[in-house]
Amino acid sequence: MSVTIGLLLALSFLVSLLALAFLIWAVTNRQLQLHQGQAYTVFTPGEAGTPDDATLPGDDAQSVGPHHYDAEREGIDAVSRRPVMILIGSGIAWLAIGSIFGLMASLKLHWPDWLTDVAPLTFGRVRTLHLNLVIYGWLSMTGIGVALWIAPRIFHTALRHPRLPVIGAVLWNIAVACGALAIASGWTDGEEWLEIPWQIDGLLALAGAFFVWPLLHTALRRNVDHIYVTGWYYLGALCWFPVLFFIANLPGIHSGVQEATVNWWFAHNVLGLWLTPLGVGAAYYFIPKIIGKPIYSYSLSLLGFWALALFYSQVGIHHLIGGPVPTWVVTLSIVHSVMMFVPVIAVAINQHVTVARNLWAFKASIPLRFVSLGALMYTLASFQGSIEALRAVNTVTHFTQYTVGHAHLGAYGFVSFVLFGAVYHMGPRLTGRQWPAPALIAVHFWLVVVGFAIYFFALTIGGVLQGLAMLDATRPFADSVTVLAPYLEARSVGGALMTLGHLIFAGHFVALLAQGRAPHATTAPTDTVPATQA
Amino acid sequence: MIRRKRTQAAPPDGPEETFEPYEEFRRIPLPVYWIAIALAIWGAVTLWDNAQAVGVGRQERAEQIEETPAAALNSGAQIFEARCSTCHQPNAVGVRSAIPPLAGSRFVAADPAVVVQILLHGIDGPIDVGGRTFDAHMPSFASVLSDAELARVATHVRQTWGGDRQEITAAFVRVQRARFAGRGAWRGGEELARVVDPALGPQPSAGPAVISAFADPAVLRLVNQGRGEAWACSSCHGAAGQGGANIPRLAGLPEGYIVKQLQDYVTGRRRNESMQTVAGALTDAERRGLARYYSGLRAPSTAKPELGGDVSRGEQLALYGDWSRNLPACFSCHGPSGFGVAPGFPSLAAQHPAYTASQLAAWVGGGRNNSDVQLMNEVARNLSDADRRAVADYLATLPPVPAVTQERR
Amino acid sequence: MNRVIPLGILALAILAFATLMLVILPGIQIRTEAPTPGLRPYSEAELRGRAVYVSEGCVYCHSQQPRSLDQAPDGERGWGRASVASDYFYDQPHQLGTMRTGPDLQNVGARLPSEAWHMTHLYQPRALYDWSVMPAYPYLFEVKDKAAPGDVVVALPERYAPEGKVVVAKPRARDLVAYLRSLDRTFPAPPTAVRDDGYSEQGEPR
Repeated sequence: MSVTIGLLLALSFLVSLLALAFLIWAVTNRQLQLHQGQAYTVFTPGEAGTPDDATLPGDDAQSVGPHHYDAEREGIDAVSRRPVMILIGSGIAWLAIGSIFGLMASLKLHWPDWLTDVAPLTFGRVRTLHLNLVIYGWLSMTGIGVALWIAPRIFHTALRHPRLPVIGAVLWNIAVACGALAIASGWTDGEEWLEIPWQIDGLLALAGAFFVWPLLHTALRRNVDHIYVTGWYYLGALCWFPVLFFIANLPGIHSGVQEATVNWWFAHNVLGLWLTPLGVGAAYYFIPKIIGKPIYSYSLSLLGFWALALFYSQVGIHHLIGGPVPTWVVTLSIVHSVMMFVPVIAVAINQHVTVARNLWAFKASIPLRFVSLGALMYTLASFQGSIEALRAVNTVTHFTQYTVGHAHLGAYGFVSFVLFGAVYHMGPRLTGRQWPAPALIAVHFWLVVVGFAIYFFALTIGGVLQGLAMLDATRPFADSVTVLAPYLEARSVGGALMTLGHLIFAGHFVALLAQGRAPHATTAPTDTVPATQA
Repeated sequence: MIRRKRTQAAPPDGPEETFEPYEEFRRIPLPVYWIAIALAIWGAVTLWDNAQAVGVGRQERAEQIEETPAAALNSGAQIFEARCSTCHQPNAVGVRSAIPPLAGSRFVAADPAVVVQILLHGIDGPIDVGGRTFDAHMPSFASVLSDAELARVATHVRQTWGGDRQEITAAFVRVQRARFAGRGAWRGGEELARVVDPALGPQPSAGPAVISAFADPAVLRLVNQGRGEAWACSSCHGAAGQGGANIPRLAGLPEGYIVKQLQDYVTGRRRNESMQTVAGALTDAERRGLARYYSGLRAPSTAKPELGGDVSRGEQLALYGDWSRNLPACFSCHGPSGFGVAPGFPSLAAQHPAYTASQLAAWVGGGRNNSDVQLMNEVARNLSDADRRAVADYLATLPPVPAVTQERR
Repeated sequence: MNRVIPLGILALAILAFATLMLVILPGIQIRTEAPTPGLRPYSEAELRGRAVYVSEGCVYCHSQQPRSLDQAPDGERGWGRASVASDYFYDQPHQLGTMRTGPDLQNVGARLPSEAWHMTHLYQPRALYDWSVMPAYPYLFEVKDKAAPGDVVVALPERYAPEGKVVVAKPRARDLVAYLRSLDRTFPAPPTAVRDDGYSEQGEPR
């Protein structure tokens, strides 16, 4: 057996490496490149009737260049407005609820006798509610909402079947709510990231189809030949997540340790092949969009995307290092985790160089600040993840709060920050109204930045101390609990600031909606600066 | 700030909103290639390296599975040296008035069943060897040696000092094991002569049974049912006080030692929250009663090496210490074969490795700080991680404490 | 990069390859393992208790996978030998866990076999460990004036005992404790058993 396995292992890594080498070769030799100039078939403004933006000022010839296209005047935003608003609104609502549960779970770790009288509020369930609400409620719904808004814009065509995502959003909300009730009542599938009972997962899958088909159809019917990099990530995510979700939730066929490998293959791919593409895709759109300057390098975009697909898909078993799973599959995941440096560096150069060359925009625009800080967190979270997968490091950090800090660096620092920025950018364009209290955007920003900094550093330092205590045979287990205690309290402080920021965010969004939709949606954006200022 | 931005944004070049994100054409920076190549090489090396580890892991598990590491000692002579010579002496002459000699002993020369039965059950009572009466406390090896090992060592003893060339087989030992399965130690030479082989001749008879003194019904209630938060002792330490995992074996520990530990749990000189709760709920008299009960209890060993320690290193430390690291031999204080020395030195033999190792670690970390003149703190600090596990595993291979010590009678 | 279908197919092919490596092949290898000799299926009560363990979310603080002594001193703490794939033969859903806010429970039945201890600890962990951050589970118990025959009465230090009343375990608590006490995989693992041996190569054991 061991010979065959060793062979497989070598083979698998070889395949990934060959694919990477081929990719680099192809990119270097321009095998994959197109002439982008001709790829951009751009509508002439006014060609398609867009009644909502008649009041727009001066649409002159400059807006018709190869890299100019007015989505609003094409009426594209108007079509996707409804589903996008519903998805984003729902996502923000789940964020508010989910972060309150998160704060409760955090507090319970140092007030263990708080709210213990009823089962739904026990730590094990509150923590699970937090995770599922923010993953399936906030991140997924908002991420899809942003995708539904961006995709038609980069495809230069209106969203197909705009009613379907509305139905999907309703079903998805029902599924998330049912899942939350199930978990609160103790009905769970019992695996991390897969707690929602499979019966309810069916509803989620159905709802998902209502998002996938319109997006796919829009992509197929696009009015531009080239697919912008954001589109690759979205299309990839749309292919990957349904497969992941379906296989991992199949009832009755997984058991024992085999189930654990499926569990972590799924859980890590939810991050790598679902939330990461949603976040990176959005960042790839908003960073150049807000700055008004192109992304640094097309070659790096290609390398970043395909290397992510190749390597991220195989990193999941690093959650079981030192566990009862075959050595070869653990090692495979470790090696691929470290190889993740390649796509991350590619994306990092691409996005950060673009921002770094336009720091004035970073200072001026809070949405851009959210997005590009989120992109920076992606780089950091990925580097941290690669290093965390090394056996020597994992020995210390595994089983500790360090991992929780890392997970939040990815899902919060990266994806949530990008989505915050996206919502702030999109809000005025969706409603035609300004944010009612722009100062609150800055308040939100500083609350979550400071809160998250406290959160992250508390768990990172506390987690290392916890891990070192656990590795020292001469210290009783109690030491690992007591040494961590002050850091858990600090984490609650950070978490409380973050939650406060979210409540302000949610309130602000409600206030934006309360103004009603402007009679004529205008473009007047709060955060954009013309390219010429650079 | 935001509003100011908006005024600035009055666009001379048309609204920014029409800008379409795109990517410039630029080569992949050279360092990215280098990094990718370096990582790929590292990955290949790691894969190769880890593939080797599987073999090591298998070997470690294989070592755990062997019945006892002593099984590696092939010959009866080697088993004798490891297991018997600490008391009976390497040349089997015994110790005057304490340990009977084997050379020339009638017990060795008698029917092969006698030696085997003594090895299987031990002796707890007076025997007559060569005209001298010994108060014998021979441990039972039934739980620590396999049939084949017992057969080899019995053959060696009988061939060397009994003058009988006949080979004792493992099958013979198996039959003998089944013959009196479940019984305790032989109560002296008289019982052996009566039950096993009359050829042993006249033997002194054992005194009256001494168990009754320990069987105070109130104590038994504590042991078996508990009282309030003094949960039943046996619910963790087992029906025979045999312990398990990191729960210590209590059977045969010196009475004074047990009383002291229970007191130290309460004062916190020895840290264990569960035992603090239990001991705090007991009266002084109950602690003494329980100590008396457990010190008189005998149970077969249920311990086996489980920490992957180097057993021969452990044996070295237990028998001789390691003066290069300022480590005295365990047995220099805890008695030959680690049977303990009342009242202060607990028996170590047949103790569970996780318990022994965790206690040694606790001496270092300060979780346990209750030995006279800090003796054990000092010893434990000089033991490495691997040494703690080695000595713990070795002690688990030893036969359990043979009998109640003289003072208790 | 301007066609949807090839992009989707390639993306899915990569995922299929990853699924083969991370799900199918390990699955085949693990499924060929017979249960570790000495492992027995759970009883009815233990299975009910396991369901309680799952629904209360114990796994979020307690792992069930001791590490090897080459890596960490889990064994010295009495948590048992390094676990192998075949130890989990009867586990569904798996409860391996990835967090040790509390200790590993793979062999808690060997380490803490007392039912009465578990009852006290579940009702109020801080009755035993003042530093513990484990939630109390009062809702798995009921407070009665007087215990009925057959009731499991929880032994409590005065501080935590309700005055003049007794605390009695509900069936869910009894099942949970039955499950916890069944967690004992201290029997040896076969040499060929499957686990991550990646830390074994360090030669001398730690």
